[in-house]
Amino acid sequence: MSDISTEKYIEEARRGIANPVLQKALVGLQDRFGRGTAEAYRRLPEGPDLRIKAHEIREKAIANLDVLLEILADKIRANGGHLYFAETAQEAVDYGLAVARRNNVRLVVKGKSMVSEEIGLNPALEAAGIEVVETDLGEYIIQLAGEKPSHIIAPAVHKNRHDIADLFVQKLGIRRTTDPPELTHAARKALRAKFLAADMGTSGVNMACAETGHITTVSNEGNIRMATTMPRVHVAFMGMERIVARLDEYEIILRLLCRGAAAQTMGTYASYIGGPRRPGESDGPDEFHLVVIDNGRSRILADPQFREMLYCVRCAACLNVCPVYGKIGGHSYGFAYSGPVGAVVTPLLTGINRAKDLCQGETLCGACRDACSMNIDLPRMLLALREKLAYGDAAWQVKPASRAEGLAYRGWSWLIRNRRLYELGLKLAATGQKLLPHRKGMLRRLPPPVQGWTQSRDLHPLAEETFMERWRRTRKS
Amino acid sequence: MIATINPQEEPYEKEKKERYGLIPMAPKPRTTLFIQCLVDTVWPHVAEAMVGVLEGLGLELDCPTDQTCCGQPAFNSGFRREARVAARRFIEIFEKSGTIVSPSGSCVYMVRHHYAELFKDEPKWRARAQRIAARTYEFSEFLVDVLKVEDLGASYPGRVTYHDSCHLLRGIRVKEQPRRLLRKVAGLELVEMKNSDYCCGFGGAFAVKYPDISAAMVNDKVDHVVNSGADTVVGCDTGCLLNIAGAVSRRGLSIKTMHIAEILAHRR
Amino acid sequence: MDTRDQINFFRRIRAALGHAPDVSRNASHLFAEGPSPEELQLLDRIRRRTAEGRQALLERLVEAGKPINLSVTALPDVAYASAAIVRLVGEKKPEWGDAKHIAAWRHPLIDRLNLPEALDRLQVPVHATAPIPIDAGSQFDQVERERQRAGIIASFIGVTSADFCLADTATLVMRNRPGQPRSAALVPSIHVAVIHLDQILSDMKELFALLRWDERYRSEGLSNYMSFISGPSKTADIEATMVHGAHGPREVHLFVVTE
Repeated sequence: MSDISTEKYIEEARRGIANPVLQKALVGLQDRFGRGTAEAYRRLPEGPDLRIKAHEIREKAIANLDVLLEILADKIRANGGHLYFAETAQEAVDYGLAVARRNNVRLVVKGKSMVSEEIGLNPALEAAGIEVVETDLGEYIIQLAGEKPSHIIAPAVHKNRHDIADLFVQKLGIRRTTDPPELTHAARKALRAKFLAADMGTSGVNMACAETGHITTVSNEGNIRMATTMPRVHVAFMGMERIVARLDEYEIILRLLCRGAAAQTMGTYASYIGGPRRPGESDGPDEFHLVVIDNGRSRILADPQFREMLYCVRCAACLNVCPVYGKIGGHSYGFAYSGPVGAVVTPLLTGINRAKDLCQGETLCGACRDACSMNIDLPRMLLALREKLAYGDAAWQVKPASRAEGLAYRGWSWLIRNRRLYELGLKLAATGQKLLPHRKGMLRRLPPPVQGWTQSRDLHPLAEETFMERWRRTRKS
Repeated sequence: MIATINPQEEPYEKEKKERYGLIPMAPKPRTTLFIQCLVDTVWPHVAEAMVGVLEGLGLELDCPTDQTCCGQPAFNSGFRREARVAARRFIEIFEKSGTIVSPSGSCVYMVRHHYAELFKDEPKWRARAQRIAARTYEFSEFLVDVLKVEDLGASYPGRVTYHDSCHLLRGIRVKEQPRRLLRKVAGLELVEMKNSDYCCGFGGAFAVKYPDISAAMVNDKVDHVVNSGADTVVGCDTGCLLNIAGAVSRRGLSIKTMHIAEILAHRR
Repeated sequence: MDTRDQINFFRRIRAALGHAPDVSRNASHLFAEGPSPEELQLLDRIRRRTAEGRQALLERLVEAGKPINLSVTALPDVAYASAAIVRLVGEKKPEWGDAKHIAAWRHPLIDRLNLPEALDRLQVPVHATAPIPIDAGSQFDQVERERQRAGIIASFIGVTSADFCLADTATLVMRNRPGQPRSAALVPSIHVAVIHLDQILSDMKELFALLRWDERYRSEGLSNYMSFISGPSKTADIEATMVHGAHGPREVHLFVVTE
């Protein structure tokens, strides 16, 4: 679930910035994947503009979401699968629990799914006495550590080999090693036993295709294949927006997803799942359930300003270029989705006031928009969210975040309308600044509410004479 | 460079012209100065330098001294009504102007990109805004793309690294022009730093509201400047430059932080 | 049949999109009646592919396999493939325990390898995953499935064929069928795939054009579980260090029979 609040955002950000292991990991992540993805887009046969086409495909799909989901549901049912449409997180979780109970499930193996994180699936299963094991290596590591993911694709990016070695020694009882292949093998061994013993496997859905009636999951590790093949029940959780109409359109999305997520031309595994095992087949689950989740997405759908956010495929390319995420790490965002996507989606799903720091704590630098595999204009939506926080909004139940700031800008709008008043104000400020602490001609400390600037840098003082004054003086005579 | 799309590649040049409808200009257009509020009030020497360069090229300049602000600070903080007030005033002041040149990429982005959005429900204002936007240029873009000039006869002995401001690079897609100008400066050695196109952490109100994050970002930027071996960091946006200069000062480093106009106006 | 949860769910979506909430909308404009010009070109290209063309694809496949640790070997006929597999069985050591078992699909090409006979000398049992008769009754079905599952789990090498192989990304494409369990290409530590040169396509675009429009593949479509496999499993979750061998097979050997 989410635990966001202003204090927590700032506190976690501070902690993230002060954490050398995290900082090193984030630099490596952004150097490698941020640049790698850019290069991968450039190498596309269609060039980086393929993302404009992808945007159109997703736009069309979202505009016809009811039609496409209906077709998908019909096809999956015709193939022997079950569909459940969950309006809320609770409904989705309850359905998953009901399936587990009905099938006497004791052990669940999970393929990585951000939406399952969003709805809080794990705690619910565990509360019912069911053992839940994350099988994506990064998710497994943080599950053992009792932590939350800090990146959508690389959840354990904040942990180094020493952390992981300590963890595995403690939880898996292995002999201590910091060698990544050996550590990976330890996890492989431990998880193999779980895969083969599990009663139920869960997964997310990267993208569904209405035409063929399939959901697709993509991974490099093979854990999702395991989780959706070996246990007798498979439950897939899908954000309702993750669908396209046709297979040829789907092909474009898949290629961009692999590049956006890990700068790859193709993930190691992609599985297209349309239903449970058929008669005569010797493996595969007896039951297949697809849980299609709303949980606030229909509200986003209804708002033309934010509908574009539903085109997202959660590739995390935006995280890999965001300079803010690159300093504070994923935990500051307090929810399943971090980085620029989290900055837009989390306020929309959990409350704009509550998550206000997520959408105000960026510089609108635009790197995310340039990196997005679906060409989504994230800064535009951040600005739209900021407008709601400025004035309040009835439809989204937003209260103005700061009346003081509102008054300040109102005052500012009066001041800038009158050049003489403006210059008077500046003269006063230029005089007043002489009282502030100085060093070598630079201001050392500003008064509240702007003391944040001088917390860690100096400020050049206001000029004695503005450019306009000088121009008037020297030119207009 | 991290910019995922090369701004100089054909599609984006086309996009820029289509989106903004930039009008081709006469060789020496009548030029009106649009001076960013930060330049006007904190670093007027940047505007002086720009004036020197433009007049040196034989341009006739005028400057509406009534101008105050394009409205960007209010807009970025979500206060669109107040931003609109500033925008309307800007439009009225610059309606009869010649070609508009500004030493600020972010202000030009505001006018070209956000004014249309601000007035999306007011067609008359939008049309007026778009007419002005079609002749508004950032300084380095104006020199290279409009006046077709790269060598200003400037001289600056020093090792210089260039910081790509966000709105200049990713907003109005200006990347090569400042570099081309800097390369023609006598005695100037241009070196690239790591992540030159990463945000410096200014972001307007962000630097004040989220000081820890902003500090972390600007300190990374200063580290990259230092590691590049440069003694001077140059940019085209005064917001970024004040931010970087402030961190340099606090850290007691001897790196010079300068606007490209100052470099181009520099003579032996 | 629409359940209550579905009805309300769709009402909400239609309302959000500004349509009449209770009216199911028409879909046909979203889908194609026939192949696009581009797809027709793709189908044509596949149809006209010559021996040289296929050889070129094979070369591309070999190159594409290198960065993902997929070993691709072209062999003149099935006898060579069989011998290569026997050699692998002899050389490789099991990851879990000491006993060597292998699992193999019941598939025309795999059958021709004659693996049970070939591996008899090495005394390595071959667990053949035969299709389970549909009318055999649920008891038999369950027993047989468990037997096959146990055989696959005990095997350190799984031998399968595939439906296609995409040269661009060195991707094996397998559709689920009786007798061709996907777990044989997943659970054993080593996956050996044997295909014919003719099965190599250029890329996903060609594959999808075939699956959508070609009469031979249309009715089966994607099957209920289609797998794309591009090399051995891997992860970079520990300090962004690439490790081959996460949960799926740690080695994948592809033999392309060119006869």
